[in-house]
Amino acid sequence: MSRFLVVFSFILFLLGAVFLSVVTAGVSPFLGTAQSTPSVADRPGPPPTVYPPSQADNGTQVYWGICQDCHGDQGQGLTADWRAAFAPVYRDCWASGCHGEDAPENSFQLPESGVPALAEPGALPQFANAFELGTYIQSSMPLSPVGSISSDQAWELTAFLLTLNKRDLEDLELSGNNSAAVPLHRDVQLPGSELPGVLLLSVVLVLAAAGISVGKRKGLEKTGAERRGNFYHHLHPPRIPAAQARFGYTLGAGGLAVFFSLILLITGALEMYYYTPTPDQAASSIQTLTTLVPFGNLVRNLHYWSAQLLVITITVHLLRVVLTGANAPPRRFNYLLGLVLLVLILLLDFTGYALRWDEGIRWALVVGTNILKTIPWIGEGLYQFVIGGAEPGAAALTRFYTWHIFGLTMAMVGITLWHIFLVRRDGGIASPPSGSENKIKRVSRFELVRKEVQVMLIAGAVVLMLSVLIPAPIDQPLTENGALTGDSRAPWFFLWIQQLLQLGSPFLWGVIVPILIILVLGLLPYWLPTTREEDLGRWFPAGSRIAQVLAALIIGFVLVLTFLGFIN
Amino acid sequence: MEEEKKLPRRNFIQLITRLLLGLAGLLGLGGLVRFFSFRPDPGSPTVYDLGDAADYPPGSKIIRPDIPAVIYNRGGEFSAFSLSCTHLGCLLEEDGNSFSCPCHGSRFDQNGSVLNGPASENLMPLRIETNDDNTLTLYTKGAGN
Repeated sequence: MSRFLVVFSFILFLLGAVFLSVVTAGVSPFLGTAQSTPSVADRPGPPPTVYPPSQADNGTQVYWGICQDCHGDQGQGLTADWRAAFAPVYRDCWASGCHGEDAPENSFQLPESGVPALAEPGALPQFANAFELGTYIQSSMPLSPVGSISSDQAWELTAFLLTLNKRDLEDLELSGNNSAAVPLHRDVQLPGSELPGVLLLSVVLVLAAAGISVGKRKGLEKTGAERRGNFYHHLHPPRIPAAQARFGYTLGAGGLAVFFSLILLITGALEMYYYTPTPDQAASSIQTLTTLVPFGNLVRNLHYWSAQLLVITITVHLLRVVLTGANAPPRRFNYLLGLVLLVLILLLDFTGYALRWDEGIRWALVVGTNILKTIPWIGEGLYQFVIGGAEPGAAALTRFYTWHIFGLTMAMVGITLWHIFLVRRDGGIASPPSGSENKIKRVSRFELVRKEVQVMLIAGAVVLMLSVLIPAPIDQPLTENGALTGDSRAPWFFLWIQQLLQLGSPFLWGVIVPILIILVLGLLPYWLPTTREEDLGRWFPAGSRIAQVLAALIIGFVLVLTFLGFIN
Repeated sequence: MEEEKKLPRRNFIQLITRLLLGLAGLLGLGGLVRFFSFRPDPGSPTVYDLGDAADYPPGSKIIRPDIPAVIYNRGGEFSAFSLSCTHLGCLLEEDGNSFSCPCHGSRFDQNGSVLNGPASENLMPLRIETNDDNTLTLYTKGAGN
């Protein structure tokens, strides 16, 4: 019995050995010669020994499995030396049948010129940067079947080829979002992490805010009479009513809007030092800014987050003004200026977002501009004016750029100053009539400025942390084919318009309704009863309740649509 | 007595707060300096492949305005110098047996030495190497020959 078992297991072992050798021989025709040829033993891979593997390590494996038969184990190309590693019958690739003129259906014909080397000086001359190489690999390699590797594999291979060419990527994870910044034929130095510096700065800002608080609580502040005040102090009224200087009344929204506008001006100017407004350079210059420039990513993220927070802040500011009835005469015109600023800021957001000129802005180029064409009579002309041609191209980018950094910005700065001047002229924040002046408690400009500076310091720390933790959207450079892909959506501040557009006529829902919304908001203090003077300075004053409800309904409507756009 | 104790404390807290604000400003300034330290333009190459040595026969003088440089073959000995004027960098022009500057009139002889000003320094000699495959390589940085 035991004798039978021994014989049986011996036969099983033999069968297994034969089976294994057949299978391995089937996988790769030249694996059998691996032991006898040194160059095959030197081939890159197999699996990486370090965990977690880097992107280039993964690329090594993909290369090992897919590319090296043709491109060689060292990236040397299909040289005679490399072919000597193949079994004799496969050594002349062009004549062997697999890749000759009569290549079978599941194979392909090798180009007469051979297979290019990938890793010698001057290799890959046609690619300027890693993005061009990566997209070429994905669209054209391997020869059969073309397009059979995933996007991830293409970037892994690109990372591998860069290391093969002695480019040090450190821990940069190559993708369509940064590879255009990585040149193929010269070394670049990657900046270190932004996190420690930003953390330090945020902590210092919060500590400074705390120091101001401590100074105040200990009652150590000089009174207004003893102080002369600096330029910034004198931008504020000398004394304002204490009740209306509270954060709970203003929500700090107006001051924060000014603060975010200042950050936007500064970071925007910094971005201009590196941004190139041409269709083939725009996206890659942004990738250079975010990938290679020290603190460049921080500057861009600060610009982005300040812009997003500005939209939120001015919406809150608008609601606060309406719900406290502060847009009553004589402040009706200033209220209109505020609405103009809201529209300008939305246009600035839109043009700024289009300046990315990457795959993420197709909505702007297709839907955002085509809406203009639906306007009767003037639509076509308006479109030409915005785009500068029959379709979005270099002229459109130049116009978006000039509007963003010059036209709209100049208008915004001018109207902001006007807006602030009118607030100051009308006695600061809206308050009860001046007859009761002697009875109400007032605070000096020094206390106002102290509060403002504190809020700015804390807001600065918040926007710094947001910027270093959540990067602004970025995508791979815009490619030629202009089709709008399925997942294209509007930037979030226009999601409500995108939702409206699903209802039908683009002219009605995309043009008339948004204009009506602004118009109705603007006419509130002109058509509807406004707050009586003695009711000013409080939330929800009686006189202007209809206007308050209407404004809340409109803003709520836009918010709900925006939310629907998010979850859609 | 009370007042005397209070005043230094006020000064101290104010001092700390101002120091913190100053530190924040310095940090921002440091970031700004680093931000501007990056050079997007890599600059011109410092190594030029001049091609086959046979294209530069003995006794020849060949001008490459793209580098810019002039390459001599004096009896099989290759030499070269820069054609960028040492005064303010204009491209020199061949002028009979000398090189003259169209900007401010400096002149240099066939060895790159100043003939007349305003330039005061001789033209920069460039290193040429003959490779194994009999091609020439020119280096615009590093020691001259």
